[in-house]
Amino acid sequence: MAEHTVTSFDDDLAHISRLVSAMADLAGTMVGDATRALIESDTGLAQRVVSDDVVMDARQRELDNRTITLIAKRQPMADDLRAVVGAIRMAGDLERIGDLAKNIAKRVGAVGQGSMSRDLSHSIDAMAQLVLIQIKGVVEEYGAGDTEALARLRNDDERIDVKYTSVFRELLTYMMEDPRNITACTHLLFCAKNLERIGDHVTNIAENAYYVLTGEQLPAARPKTDETAVPAPAA
Amino acid sequence: MKPMLSNEIITADVINAATPKTKIEVKNLNFYYGESKALKDITLSLPERSVTAFIGPSGCGKSTLLRVFNRIYELYPKQRADGEVLLDGENILERSQDLNLLRTKIGMVFQKPTPFPMSIYENIAFGIRLYEKLTKAEMDERVEQALKRAALWTEVKDKLDASGTSLSGGQQQRLCIARTVAVKPEVILLDEPCSALDPLSTARIEELIDELQADYTIVIVTHNMQQAARVSAQTAFMYLGELIEFDKTEKIFTAPSEKRTQDYITGRFG
Repeated sequence: MAEHTVTSFDDDLAHISRLVSAMADLAGTMVGDATRALIESDTGLAQRVVSDDVVMDARQRELDNRTITLIAKRQPMADDLRAVVGAIRMAGDLERIGDLAKNIAKRVGAVGQGSMSRDLSHSIDAMAQLVLIQIKGVVEEYGAGDTEALARLRNDDERIDVKYTSVFRELLTYMMEDPRNITACTHLLFCAKNLERIGDHVTNIAENAYYVLTGEQLPAARPKTDETAVPAPAA
Repeated sequence: MKPMLSNEIITADVINAATPKTKIEVKNLNFYYGESKALKDITLSLPERSVTAFIGPSGCGKSTLLRVFNRIYELYPKQRADGEVLLDGENILERSQDLNLLRTKIGMVFQKPTPFPMSIYENIAFGIRLYEKLTKAEMDERVEQALKRAALWTEVKDKLDASGTSLSGGQQQRLCIARTVAVKPEVILLDEPCSALDPLSTARIEELIDELQADYTIVIVTHNMQQAARVSAQTAFMYLGELIEFDKTEKIFTAPSEKRTQDYITGRFG
């Protein structure tokens, strides 16, 4: 893309773009750390996720200020306008991802040590890995301007939904087996739900990125396979 | 905003929106200043009772195209046009076209306000008298109507005998619009009507354009992209005498199809 005649306009846009990248990197780190803290019962790491969220919020506020100032000063048009509006929306989703990661981190103490079977921790870890692949993917594909990959990535959220359904059922089984598991499993249920929600925010980011790059919206319908609202078969 | 109560209403709206009546149709238009070709094979249709904006860098031909619509270029030697410009299906470039009649149908407002050096009243009445014989009472009524239509009446009603040139720039421009509206044209051409005005006067003119489009087909040439985005329903981007892109205004300013349009409206040109 050619440079603007007013070069400081390019500087402003580049700064906003860097802030979104920084927020995306931080979101990935927070989700990874929160899950590791949960699986390894590492309260120190969990605490770091909580403090990272303060940084995340501060970055979003800075991005808000800069985008609003840019709109007032430059009145962006066409791809610039889409980039600025897209940045505001992506930052909103990234900030929410940070909140959800923090929420997982805050449950680390409540879940407690040794309350998770190896199978269960493996399932949650697998779900978290899917989420992390999506976060990393959306940043890379947006950076590369690969719209087809973004459309595919949005559909890939289905895999997280499927995994969530399976973790949900697994947790139900543990609770039915022994009521003493209920407290820990309920917290883990929220953690799994948070991961699933993070996947949805990544989907939003992919849709926004697609719009910023093409000027067109992806079709509204997207595969959705969260079956936890459907009665589970008798365990 | 009309409430959408049923599918039938939505369908009717979509059909109406899809097939607006064409007021001016330009076909393969070329324009020459002596040897130099200023418009190259322009083809586009302007819908009736709607605002169309022409944008593009200086010298792109947008004002030239506007000047073809009322053949004002004929005032100058060595300027000529070929191709077709159909107003309601009739080619206005035909030699047999009555230019005075054409200019009553297609009025024009220029960049710099150009009130006649006479009273406010006479500024309006002058043009009407050329075409119609009215009684004093009828003329008073027409002058009042025109000034009201141009949102100037309340400001000047007590000083209609004052000179048109005594008004502020924004008022002078609205006086020119009133003068144009007074002879009941079908099309109004606005050539950068706000470029010499302050933001408040600009807002008044934009409000006026918004109201006038219910009755007139309006074509505006503007250097102010935000203004084009605000006032028009469709926008044409021109460059070096060519029509690069012509589309709905919202499309042009959010996701234009042509890279040159994008570069121009985002300030990346040249």
